[in-house]
Amino acid sequence: MTTGERAFGLSLPVQRHTLANGLRVVLSADHAAPIICVAVYYRVGMRVEPRGRTGFAHLFEHLMFQGSESMAKMEIARLVQENGGNLNGSTRYDFTNYFESMPAHTLDLALWMEADRMRGPVITQAELDNQRDVVKNEIRVNVLNRPYGSFPWIEMQAAAFTNWHNSHNGYGDMADLDAASLEDVQSFFRDYYSPANAVLVVVGDIEEQQAIDLARKYFEDIPAAPPPVPADVREPRQEIEKRVSYVDALANKPALAVSYHVPERGSREYYALGLLDQVLLQGEDSLLHQEIVSRRGYAGGVDGGINFLGHMHNAQTPLLWTSELIHDRDVSPDTILEAFDAVIERVRSEPLPQATLDRALVKARASLYESINDTSYPGFGRADLLASFELLEDDAAQVNTIEQRFGAVTADLIMETAREFLRSTNRTILMVEPGAAE
Amino acid sequence: MTHPRPVLSAPPAARILPRNQQRLANGMRATFVHAGAVPMASVRLVLRTGSADVPAGETWLERFVHDYLGEGTEVRDAAAFADAMAGLGGQLSVDADEHTTVLRTDVLAEHAPEAIALLAEVARQPRFPESEADRLRNDIRRGLDLALAQPQYVTFAAFRAALYGDHPYGRVIPDATMFERFDTARAREFWVGETGAQRALLLVGGVFDEVAAIGAWRAAFEDWTTGPAPVEHRPTPAQGRTIRLLDRPGAEQSTVYLGRSVPDPTQPDFVPLEVTNLLVGGSFHSRITMNIREAKGYTYSPHSVLSSRPHDTFWAEIADVTTDVTGAAIGEVFAEVERIRTEAPPADELAGIQNYASGNFVIRQATPGGILDHLEFLDLHGLDERYSASYVERVRAVTPTDVQRIAQQYLGTESMILAVAGDRASIEAQLAPYGTPSA
Repeated sequence: MTTGERAFGLSLPVQRHTLANGLRVVLSADHAAPIICVAVYYRVGMRVEPRGRTGFAHLFEHLMFQGSESMAKMEIARLVQENGGNLNGSTRYDFTNYFESMPAHTLDLALWMEADRMRGPVITQAELDNQRDVVKNEIRVNVLNRPYGSFPWIEMQAAAFTNWHNSHNGYGDMADLDAASLEDVQSFFRDYYSPANAVLVVVGDIEEQQAIDLARKYFEDIPAAPPPVPADVREPRQEIEKRVSYVDALANKPALAVSYHVPERGSREYYALGLLDQVLLQGEDSLLHQEIVSRRGYAGGVDGGINFLGHMHNAQTPLLWTSELIHDRDVSPDTILEAFDAVIERVRSEPLPQATLDRALVKARASLYESINDTSYPGFGRADLLASFELLEDDAAQVNTIEQRFGAVTADLIMETAREFLRSTNRTILMVEPGAAE
Repeated sequence: MTHPRPVLSAPPAARILPRNQQRLANGMRATFVHAGAVPMASVRLVLRTGSADVPAGETWLERFVHDYLGEGTEVRDAAAFADAMAGLGGQLSVDADEHTTVLRTDVLAEHAPEAIALLAEVARQPRFPESEADRLRNDIRRGLDLALAQPQYVTFAAFRAALYGDHPYGRVIPDATMFERFDTARAREFWVGETGAQRALLLVGGVFDEVAAIGAWRAAFEDWTTGPAPVEHRPTPAQGRTIRLLDRPGAEQSTVYLGRSVPDPTQPDFVPLEVTNLLVGGSFHSRITMNIREAKGYTYSPHSVLSSRPHDTFWAEIADVTTDVTGAAIGEVFAEVERIRTEAPPADELAGIQNYASGNFVIRQATPGGILDHLEFLDLHGLDERYSASYVERVRAVTPTDVQRIAQQYLGTESMILAVAGDRASIEAQLAPYGTPSA
């Protein structure tokens, strides 16, 4: 960073509260535009769904739009829309979130709605069956009827991880989805959707006192329940390189992905790897782009990152740092890997030049800010960061230390991290064989 | 205990952020808007040229040229250019459609002036190194193969071809032999021939120093040649039912595009049409989505769109539906459209949709990206700030009988074009009630 630039720019206001039933509330005012984003994060995701019920955390997410005590099926969608907002939900490895970006004057209603569904879904067999069909169609459109639909995330997780929590397909097997019952819905809700296992985040054009008063009014009388015992999602240290290939019947070109297990979230090495990701993989200045795309022409681009379903700040480890590309048939995976390895060896054998490290810091900072500047759901990017740090590091205010954590990384630490984590014995190589004609 | 549903006050009037609009002697324009609090600036160099300017027989030439723009400038080579951009926190992306090519980047707030200068360098002094031509041609060949494997892309192309025929809007998919003619000289000729100051608009939004940004804009562009005026390419969209069926043997889903030509954004009926679209299929709680997703479970992500070019717009419903209910899903879509045509919507349903349209207008103005998208829309259609200022009022003026009239006038299902990619053996008979597929 050149002199005169602010080294640590992100400074979000953060107010944290815990209600009597254990629900954590995080407020962050931003008066730049007359909008709010209300987000509820439950600490249950693909990693902790029951065995024999793969895909259930995601199916359950759909059911949370199918009605609750005071709202009929899809009424929550209608209420959000007719008050000028947009809503969505998503299921990730460690959490499931529900959120709406709304004009600021609707805060009262948005909190009322989320509190109502925190009391539990009220749904019929027909509604469960309907959403099972919708989810199956989601899997068809995103995976089964799409070339490279399971590449690399579903196939790589299965190949690289040894712990079932991390390796199974979170979209679910069709048979498991078929087996899901209303009893499963009730027990899953009871086990995972308690206030003490959730975080409510309110950001945007709010008065903090009014927001916390409303949060208490609607949420505090939701019955308390003990939070679930966390699942053991640890992975053993990988000691031998793995290679896996599979045929994708819809793909007409081969594809290649390489994944390495990453350091533990929050550690100094994790932030060092975050900068290595910027140096090696992000953007056209990255070393892998320069070597594999610009110099060798093996692919039109090299994509990837630290979290298949988000970025490095919104998931818990174990995670994989993955590089992926689609290539022509006349170039072998080994030829590409040779070029890939030459780049990786460089960062393992010599410290990064200061200019490269400085640029990586600028990129990491810009990428953090861009994640906050969500255009589809204004405010959501900010809410997502706050909720992730509250859930995964027990303190939303830690978002304001991210830049410091990156700033503390030295060239030596980057080299040490590369030596330990970018070992070939710490990686899995996944190859797609094209099953379709060109 | 449950709490009574809160009653809200009326929404405050929509706030339009001030836009600082400037013009240079050579015809180039710029708009600067301060928005948001995140210390990032969005910089877009909007150039009025796109795929519609590509002659027949050279489909995707503009993509080849845009890829080539990433290969450096006369000032610095590709690697040095990428390093310079990354040093600002950004990277060059090139987005394009039929009439617009946007060179864009998001950078740290303090670097907006340098980003403006770098985008100018790409637009005015692209390097087009001969040494990279073979690789870029190969990239585009690979890109074509990958696109042809995507059911949504081939269905979109078939819908376009049926609607626009030989017009550039209908020429979506190239023949790979066309790429043989793509070379350095042709790329340079196309870019130089299609760009210049009077086709250029700079948009800067977010957090930035306005004096410095304006200074950088003047310095980088005021001696640019005026260049060619934008060229109009008005199409004559097909009227009447056509069915295009693309066989994907064994496909579990059918990808469906169904729609027709409607009034464009310069027409007074466009805003009522937008409201009608949101009510019929363009929102999560719309009638079509509530029917084929929430009642029937035929599909995951159905949605209808209004897709606009200058003096041209089409309405389409797009969905990936389970193979064995392909015909049933199309039947339900047609039935929902016909229902609006025969029966004006209830006032409260329409009021909800009007609130959605006006609330979303406010939400879109809440981020730099949303504002710049809106400014691009206005510029493309020759509209100005009066459109933005009166938008909410025009949304609120729409009545139930307006919606019915709009649907009657513009959404006749008998003249909708239908493009479907799916397992022919399973779906051909299902499509029979809607007509006979043509090649």
